[in-house]
Amino acid sequence: MGQEHCAPGSATALVDEQDGAPLVALIGPPNSGKTTLFNRLTGLRQKVANYPGVTVEKHVGRVQVADDGTIDLVDLPGVHGFSARSLDEKVTRDVLEGRMPGLRAPDALVLIVDSTRLESQLMLVEPVLELELPTLLVLNMWDELVERGGHVDHAALARRLGVAIARTDARGGLGVDDVRAFLAGVVRRDGAHGRAVTNVPRGTALPMMDAFAARRRRVREIVGEAGFVQPGASSSSERLDAIALHRVWGPLVFLAVVVLVFQALFAWATPLIDGVDVLISSSGEWLGSALPDTWFRSLLVDGIWAGVGSVVVFLPQILILFLFLGFLEDSGYMARAAVIADRMMYRVGLQGRAFLPLLSGYACAVPAILAARTVDDERDRLATIFVTPFMTCSARLPVYALLIAAFIPDEPLLGPFLGQRAAVLLGLYGLGIAAAVLTAFLLKRTLLKAKPSSFLMELPPYRLPSLRSIGLRLLDRSRIFLRRAGTIIFAVTVVLWTLTQFPRVDGGPPLVDDSALGRMGQVIEPAIEPLGFDWRIGVGLVTSLAAREVIVGTLGTIYGVEEATEEDLGLQDALRRDLTLGSAIGLLVFFAFALQCMSTVAVVRRETAGWKWPALQFGYMLLLAYVGAFVAVRIF
Amino acid sequence: MDLRLPSIPLRQTVELVHIDLPADQAEPLLERGVLPGCKICPVRSSPSGDPIISIDGSLLALRRETAACLCVRLLSANGVSQLQEAS
Repeated sequence: MGQEHCAPGSATALVDEQDGAPLVALIGPPNSGKTTLFNRLTGLRQKVANYPGVTVEKHVGRVQVADDGTIDLVDLPGVHGFSARSLDEKVTRDVLEGRMPGLRAPDALVLIVDSTRLESQLMLVEPVLELELPTLLVLNMWDELVERGGHVDHAALARRLGVAIARTDARGGLGVDDVRAFLAGVVRRDGAHGRAVTNVPRGTALPMMDAFAARRRRVREIVGEAGFVQPGASSSSERLDAIALHRVWGPLVFLAVVVLVFQALFAWATPLIDGVDVLISSSGEWLGSALPDTWFRSLLVDGIWAGVGSVVVFLPQILILFLFLGFLEDSGYMARAAVIADRMMYRVGLQGRAFLPLLSGYACAVPAILAARTVDDERDRLATIFVTPFMTCSARLPVYALLIAAFIPDEPLLGPFLGQRAAVLLGLYGLGIAAAVLTAFLLKRTLLKAKPSSFLMELPPYRLPSLRSIGLRLLDRSRIFLRRAGTIIFAVTVVLWTLTQFPRVDGGPPLVDDSALGRMGQVIEPAIEPLGFDWRIGVGLVTSLAAREVIVGTLGTIYGVEEATEEDLGLQDALRRDLTLGSAIGLLVFFAFALQCMSTVAVVRRETAGWKWPALQFGYMLLLAYVGAFVAVRIF
Repeated sequence: MDLRLPSIPLRQTVELVHIDLPADQAEPLLERGVLPGCKICPVRSSPSGDPIISIDGSLLALRRETAACLCVRLLSANGVSQLQEAS
């Protein structure tokens, strides 16, 4: 499970209503340290990374500027320009021009650049100054520039551009006070205005190539006047790349990293998950024994504690995923991984940047689909979003675990190396990958047909990840995750529990078969009968639309309530009674393919700005699931 | 004169003359400073044989299909290759 997830639209609500405080936009190219500076200033936790483009969600924070008052700071995606070619650039342009719904036009700008690469980074300075807003130019990574023997006369640069300049090391916190001083000036409304770099009147339509060439000449002239000396190459980065991008070692390192992430997600997380599980079930038992036997105890213990608890147990796994992704991104390795993965992805119609979302998809499709924003080509991005839910997310695991344990014997298949159960689990992972590859391949030849896109990946220097920023991010992720468990999952459990309680029989709850929930299952029974599923599974399929793992809790509830009246059966025994081996495998296949997750549908709708793609995706995956299960039932 | 980037040996800095791509596909290159007149230097090859170039102190990974659209010329006038430290 692990819908670590922002409820659609939740990020926007922060500052809309607050008026009075000026809005300052923080912009800069990817890997310029923008988000690090943002964290320094606001203390608001969010993603910070070396991987170009992860800062894609809208982040707004409040900064207290000494005694002068507060400003709202919006952290924009890292971009190289405002052409609105990618989603990130479109978001940036809309915010800067005050066209972003729910966000007022900015009153001032902070442009942050990596000073070790000043020349290419300043390509952004011209379109920014053309906005004619008070602007601060932040020369970040100043320490690194000096260390590697580079130089620039910042005073001359400030004079030439007519902007205030701050030299910072955002990671170490150096020079951040100068940024605060600028923000204080914005509050007092005396921030320095930038001076137009160019005399080209706005809207002059030069052919694009010429426009860029002209801009480039002006930038070169400006950095020349400011005496910019390019720093020497980072030799430690070169040495690391000699391994990470080596013909033989490169793919091996890549493979080792993927295996390590999986090992951590599925082996090392287990004791933690078990620990949380014990904590939840024992506290539930304690609650059960401490409360009098009323409907309220049933709601609290059987409904909420069991339902919400079944989701919260995945918190350790989500955190481990984000810990690893954080290290990979912040260290700069993720960009190399994308380069290595690109050729393979390109063959199936995707591109290297899709590697990050697809890998995240093994934990949860919701953050993975958000991460697909890093895919800069629109068709590639849509294809990535479309196939991401085929990755075996951790919400499927409880379902797989239950059914495999109930139906597959714990016997060796290939000697001591591979048991039958492990083989089935691997097979289900493989099924997901095969479906994703096939679907991407089909999409890029039909709906998303296009000339091959170009793939450009900036490889930032390797940097030591800051534990502080990764720690803050994990805190943030836990908060989002728990908030979700406390709202959506909470609501679903309460509704489910209520549906098992009505219509009342003699003032008490009915048999599950007769309850409102049971009747809903019986309504869809004819549709799932060809798959060998009875109404109980039907109810599970309906409730698992909220989140896949809910089916486990639902079946637990149904059989649990039945247990009281019939002979005492464990959940696995009860399943063995009601399902054949064939339909159990059918159910596994169904879960491998079907898009049983409303959070994913919601996030796809938001990310594709409409119902077309989520509807198509849901229908396609449901069809594949039904046909797959139908075939599986007849084979086994 | 139709020298393209893939035929340039590693560590040899060349000047970009022309980008043989439609405008919309060239734009991401332009934004990153890959413009006619700029100096680029292939510094490494990815495991799958795609070039990684150094430009203005940044490292940029391209696909070889894209690299094949970059027309370049050697730096010295008489055509003698001029080895430079990649920066």
